[in-house]
Amino acid sequence: MALTRREFLKSSAAASAAAAIGMQVPSELEAAAGNAEAGWRWDKAACRFCGTGCGIMLATTGEGKDRKIVAVKGDPAAPVNRGLNCIKGYFNAKIMYGADRLTTPLLRVNEKGEFDKHGKFAPVSWKRAFDEMEKHIRKALKASGPEGVAVFASGQYTIMEGYAAQKMMKGGFRSNAIDPNARHCMASAVVGFYQTFGIDEPSGCYDDIELTDTIVTWGSNMAEMHPILWSRVTDRKLSDPDNVKVVNIQTYTHRTCDLGDFNIIFKPQTDLLLWNYLAREIVYNHPEAIDWDFIKKNIIFTAGPVNIGYGMRRKGEKSLTPERPDGSAGKYSAKEMQTIRQEMVHKVSEDEAPALAPYGYKAGDEMHHTPGTLKHWEISFEEYKKSLAPYTLDYVARVAKGDPDESIESFKKKLQDLAALYIEKDRKVVSFWTMGMNQHTRGTWDNTLSYNVHFLLNKQAKPGSGAFSLTGQPSACGTAREVGTFCHRLPADMMVKNPKHRKIVEKKWQIPEGTLNPVGNQHIMKIHRDIEDGVVKFAWVNVCNAYQDSASAKHWIKAARTMDNFIVTSDGYPGISAKVSDLILPSAMIYEKWGAYGNAERRTQHWRQQVLPVGDAMSDTWQWVELSKRFTVDDLWGGYTLRNGKKLPDVRKKAYAMGYKPDTTMFEILFANDRAKSYKIDLNSFPQKGYDNTECLGDERNVVGSDGKVFKGYGFMIHQYLFEEYAWFGRGHGHDLADFVTYHKVRGLKWPVVNGKETAWRFNVKYDPYAAKHAKENGRGSEFAFYGPLAKALPKGTLTGITDKKKTPLPDKAKIFARPYMQPPEIPDAEYDTWLCTGRVLEHWHSGTMTMRVPELYRAVPEALCYMHPKTAEEKGLKQGDLCWIESRRGRVKARVETRGRNRPPRTLVFVPWFDERVFINKVTLDATCPMSKQTDYKKCAVKIYKA
Amino acid sequence: MKVLTKLGISTAVAASAFLLFTGCGAEQAAPAKAEAKVVKKEVVKPLVSDKQLSYRNVDLEDETTVVPPKVEYTDAAPGTSKKFKRAYQDAPPMIPHSVVGLVPIKMGNNQCLGCHMPDVAPAVGATPIPTSHFTDFRPKTTVKNGVIYKNGKPIKNTSSEELKNVSIKPMKKLYMGRYNCTQCHAPQAKLNPLVENKFQAQYTDPKGAFKSSWQGDKFMEHIKIPAN
Repeated sequence: MALTRREFLKSSAAASAAAAIGMQVPSELEAAAGNAEAGWRWDKAACRFCGTGCGIMLATTGEGKDRKIVAVKGDPAAPVNRGLNCIKGYFNAKIMYGADRLTTPLLRVNEKGEFDKHGKFAPVSWKRAFDEMEKHIRKALKASGPEGVAVFASGQYTIMEGYAAQKMMKGGFRSNAIDPNARHCMASAVVGFYQTFGIDEPSGCYDDIELTDTIVTWGSNMAEMHPILWSRVTDRKLSDPDNVKVVNIQTYTHRTCDLGDFNIIFKPQTDLLLWNYLAREIVYNHPEAIDWDFIKKNIIFTAGPVNIGYGMRRKGEKSLTPERPDGSAGKYSAKEMQTIRQEMVHKVSEDEAPALAPYGYKAGDEMHHTPGTLKHWEISFEEYKKSLAPYTLDYVARVAKGDPDESIESFKKKLQDLAALYIEKDRKVVSFWTMGMNQHTRGTWDNTLSYNVHFLLNKQAKPGSGAFSLTGQPSACGTAREVGTFCHRLPADMMVKNPKHRKIVEKKWQIPEGTLNPVGNQHIMKIHRDIEDGVVKFAWVNVCNAYQDSASAKHWIKAARTMDNFIVTSDGYPGISAKVSDLILPSAMIYEKWGAYGNAERRTQHWRQQVLPVGDAMSDTWQWVELSKRFTVDDLWGGYTLRNGKKLPDVRKKAYAMGYKPDTTMFEILFANDRAKSYKIDLNSFPQKGYDNTECLGDERNVVGSDGKVFKGYGFMIHQYLFEEYAWFGRGHGHDLADFVTYHKVRGLKWPVVNGKETAWRFNVKYDPYAAKHAKENGRGSEFAFYGPLAKALPKGTLTGITDKKKTPLPDKAKIFARPYMQPPEIPDAEYDTWLCTGRVLEHWHSGTMTMRVPELYRAVPEALCYMHPKTAEEKGLKQGDLCWIESRRGRVKARVETRGRNRPPRTLVFVPWFDERVFINKVTLDATCPMSKQTDYKKCAVKIYKA
Repeated sequence: MKVLTKLGISTAVAASAFLLFTGCGAEQAAPAKAEAKVVKKEVVKPLVSDKQLSYRNVDLEDETTVVPPKVEYTDAAPGTSKKFKRAYQDAPPMIPHSVVGLVPIKMGNNQCLGCHMPDVAPAVGATPIPTSHFTDFRPKTTVKNGVIYKNGKPIKNTSSEELKNVSIKPMKKLYMGRYNCTQCHAPQAKLNPLVENKFQAQYTDPKGAFKSSWQGDKFMEHIKIPAN
């Protein structure tokens, strides 16, 4: 380009100003139009954004570090999206080019250049950055052991990044305190899968959309959150409008509802009632619809404890101590404690009483909670049937109707129509859900309740039928779940608490037996709470925005800024987490590195590095690998006592016996070992030929690395090594992935990939070779085998508890759970009289760090609005466009009133999205979680609204 | 280090801090860069406060002085406003007119189509819906006896690595998967960008800023990987 930078900025400033008022300007850029795509290089890649996992075609041009992305187009060969992307998908082209990309590490320092928590940021070298990280990690390990070193991980990690982080954290630091933002997004879905199927991830695939007759969305605004899947639904519906039915079950009307044959607006949390109503309709009123042959061969009935709390802080925790006469406790105000006390004791309400009657509770009873547990036991069908008895149409409609302006008759009719659609023989039904059912203080229950209905009707794991959890993030499945970057997980559905699983991993990683820590309880909210309690002293934010995305945000920010700890954020742009941090590291963004994501239909997709990173930015993989150079066997593998008293053994002698020396680094053991070096650089062959590879070769930027010398690359194909080593864990165990090179040739494959063939419907003998194998072995003659291995031997009991402790094996069976309706811990009252629901909008991704920097996306939705009913606004003396306060027991923020927008809540609810730094809504939300999955409920808390 | 001076300037003008931030790597000439690589004693001075990072230029604790901008969209009726340039060749165009009363798009009620269908568009000065929107790229999926068929052919994998399996069916009617116009096209508020974006468009078609060229043979261009 002949333009200098100054000219460019000038012209782009003029252009943007002009564009703002809709003018056209001549510029050299445009004058260049008409050239053929000379020098353009097109390649395939995956979209950066949601869990749909669309393919894109990406064009770059220029030489070396001047090579930039110039265009994105739909990929007709990509099975997910077939040549079409959504607005965010197309603007992948611009996400890396915001002018405030981080280009150098930034450290808070004093005038002398020393680290100072209260200092301003100074640009520092990578070496200084790693020196500080090393120092503070050592300090944290000394103070708190492995539990003192934590990582806020991500469902947006590439598979390789997640795996590298997992290895260093769990294998190196022996810390399980690595948990992804995916915890906030689909942990309830995961526990639902584990409990129901014994193995994670959906049985169906997106082809269900074209094959079904009925699409029911539950707590999911697919039109905005999974727009391309919604485009497929729209095509299906409008191509056969009389036969195909679409029903949306939501707490407020939104774009998805615009295509509904009918929409059910329910009171927050009462989706539990609706699912149980459907099950009751089947079991009591349409028993002929139950496929008993299927049930007997494949299903057992189960129950678990109901007094499991809401995943909030519990009495006795350090930051809740002391309790004071004014009602406050520790770091929590009296107002906050009004809600938190529910965690210990809850008084059963009139609304809950009928649902809880089969479990021995009546209205006014005090339910004493114990912390959430995954425990469950087998019950008889009769017991299950007993649990459904309360969910009559009258009871459910009375409690669940969510729009005060709708008549009870209208609501009842919709419930009956819904039941009729599910029950209709030979009608195929897909139930899709996203955050509404996952971000829920009974999210795990809600997920399992969906499978109940599909199982009873034998409408699960079949082409065109099934309950289908849609994941939010691009690699919540591929990385967070499959790689296992959760505190309790290891790759391929293995668990840190299982000694056999730890042994398998230790052997593969060639680390001493006993190295891995068996205690994995530091989920993402626990990490925040552990920082507030002073246990976690070092925390690293990776590919997420942990300080903008976590509920009760004021507590975590205060803890990070005022306590003795060291917070690091790696990011492409400075967001709220960066502002809160002590050290900020510049990360290479999506197309500046080789990577792979796994989407919500089990499709794994790889891409190549398209351009060099900006400035001195380097990938998160590189950052982890460089950090590993700073720690040796003797540094990390001595003995520790965990806070629960459990001892982690000193494994150094075993390490020496394996040939490691006291000063062998984790880099040599975990990342640059002989297996790794066997993956060669081959610039003459596909897929490496012609593409940059910063981690392996360095690049022409000559970035000065962690040792103060120019980084020249690892010299082996580390991306392939990390992928293949990770993939080894799943192969032969129902998670089979194809090889690295194959993925570069195809538009993704749905695992398990067996003999080169992907699996469309899991657990179904016709489509899933694992199911076929299991069905043959168990000899039941079933068309299904729910072969997941977790919790496949259970004691027996009734709804209220275990009666026979002896465990009965139940190989290849899935579970139907008895699970009642229960209220959330905070509901609107006289003072805080309105429900607050938060979430996303189509044009912005998560906390907006990327999309707010794309002018077209910013201008499309420049700020987070407070969507409310016109009558609510009127009652509160507010007009369209007014600033209002949204205040909860935890804090308040301002936003502009929107009464005519795309989201149309009933009078009882407001919706405020969370992408906007200036409308920091997570200061208002409540960090209650599903006590089983530990996923935060962002969809409900009580607020008051008034004019600002 | 050059970056220090740049940041030094930037502290004076908080709003432009991010502009200058990218300074060091992106456009220094190569020789200067090499020189900067010589490892010398690092001079580290506190320069940037967290308030200056990103676009919320107010303390994180402070909510009283945070004011999201007053947002105005154009109230120009369809056909009366200048069109926005496409962001790059074949990017979806943004909506230059008011959409009040035109959205939400509902089943049986899509007011966009009234003006933008190609047979009407030229007469009313609207951007005509391009050929790509009258094309169905999704092969018909059927399932029989455990075999998945696409366009009637049994397939092993849904990924169309065989280019002959890519399905392109021209349609007379709008492809219904593109019925939700607002999925790709959005009105634009009258605001300057929050943060400058340095993406540079290159239009390969003389009319590329205002017209889609993605049609016909172009659908299949470049999609074979590995290319040969």
